[in-house]
Amino acid sequence: MALRVNYFVDETVSNLRRNVLLTLAAVSTVSISLLLLGVVMVGGEVLTKMVSSWEGKVELNVFLRDEATPDEVKALDSQAKGMPEVDEVFFESKEQAFEEYKRMFKDSPAITENVDPNALPASYRIKLKDPNSAEAVASRLQGQPGVDEVQFGGEAMKRLLKFTGVVRTILVIAIVLTLGAAILLIANTIRLGIYARRKEIGIMKLVGATNWFIRVPFIFEGTVQAALGALVASALIYAGKVFGLDRMQDAILFLPLTVGSGSIVRMFFTLLLIGIVIGVFGSTLALRRFLEV
Amino acid sequence: MIRLENVSKVYKGSVVALRDISTDIQKEEFVFLVGSSGSGKSTFIKMLLKEEEPSEGTIFVAGKDIGQLPRWRVPYLRRNIGCVFQDFKLLANKTVRENVAFALEVIGRPKNIINQRVPAIIELVGLTDKLNSMPHELSGGEQQRVCIARAMVNRPPILLADEPTGNLDPSTSADIMNLLERLNESGTTVLIATHDHAVVDRSRKRVIELDGGKLVRDQVRGVYGIGG
Repeated sequence: MALRVNYFVDETVSNLRRNVLLTLAAVSTVSISLLLLGVVMVGGEVLTKMVSSWEGKVELNVFLRDEATPDEVKALDSQAKGMPEVDEVFFESKEQAFEEYKRMFKDSPAITENVDPNALPASYRIKLKDPNSAEAVASRLQGQPGVDEVQFGGEAMKRLLKFTGVVRTILVIAIVLTLGAAILLIANTIRLGIYARRKEIGIMKLVGATNWFIRVPFIFEGTVQAALGALVASALIYAGKVFGLDRMQDAILFLPLTVGSGSIVRMFFTLLLIGIVIGVFGSTLALRRFLEV
Repeated sequence: MIRLENVSKVYKGSVVALRDISTDIQKEEFVFLVGSSGSGKSTFIKMLLKEEEPSEGTIFVAGKDIGQLPRWRVPYLRRNIGCVFQDFKLLANKTVRENVAFALEVIGRPKNIINQRVPAIIELVGLTDKLNSMPHELSGGEQQRVCIARAMVNRPPILLADEPTGNLDPSTSADIMNLLERLNESGTTVLIATHDHAVVDRSRKRVIELDGGKLVRDQVRGVYGIGG
């Protein structure tokens, strides 16, 4: 069997070398297809991070009546904390609210001087696990004893959530489309390569080669091409990250614009896997027609 | 070595290629299969290689009913039959040596056997000086000799040749036939499908003639062949 492996490796290397043009065509097709897919994946990761950071800023403000009793406040507190949609609950007392207010308007003492520290209400700020549940949670808290008003960003937030939802859907569609395009392009290149060598396959059959003996070098070749393609695509994406995203991030600090090197490495392995799977299945399928002699 | 019992072949669209053929080719025989184009010669050859299945009848190769052979055993059947073709069917991107070695690699022979047998068989067909040439650098007769070397290198008991001289001039054809006869003398059963009158007349071997898919003549060795 060791001899066989030697033969397969020799055969793969010499086929790749002798069919340089076909190899180049195949590797560049795989690279371009995987590059497209990788760009969509990285872009998707950046967008998802951005969208999540926006959504993370969505919170409910439950303002309490001044005359709310400590029992009512306590009941409200445990009710809010007991809701499955709720992530975290912060209490802001009248004093804290006033401090916050003073901090916000510290440049205009005229505004703060005229305000009675007691005029601002105490409130609960509630962070949610899923921002989409804001309206439901708000309506449940509204009207509870001690509650004056519940604010949750209303229309503006609904629009933001609608937008982020659309962004996520578009991302999924884009990934499915580019994956589909990559599969078709790569499979087609493999088919062309095999078609160019159909005569060779016929001769192998006639001198008594078993189907596996014919298949293995093609599968090896497909794997090597897929690996090279994934490498080229990942290298280009890494360059794009370093020279594009990282620089943009330096300029725009308040948005999460870039991805870590770890995600690029993960993406390389994902692309490698996708490339190899398509390579192996594509060549096996494409060979089937020519093996039936 | 090769036996056909009442073999018929009807292609899709009811084209009858062979009708009720029965014949028996003994070990170490040298047989011409003659007939005009469309007489069924190629179908005959293809069925021996199990490229085509007979519609009716049974074919035995080396004592085995190849109709019973499962698909995965077909490569092993073909290793018993060396094949020579009118269009040579050499691998264009491999050298002479590699083309011949290929037939051994395919059946998993170790490198030392390949290195020993390939130059020997290439010498036998007289192409030692072309060992590292590519097929397109060779003449038709030389390519056919490479093809014969490839067919014989794993020492199959049977050699099938489909119009081996079809693309060659008369004197080159005679060289090729001499080579095939020598292989026959060394113990290989040889079956040659041809419509080359000159070649058949010169050799005076057993002749099986097909016409419109029927076996119309079977002259055993010793009877002067007149050609198909």
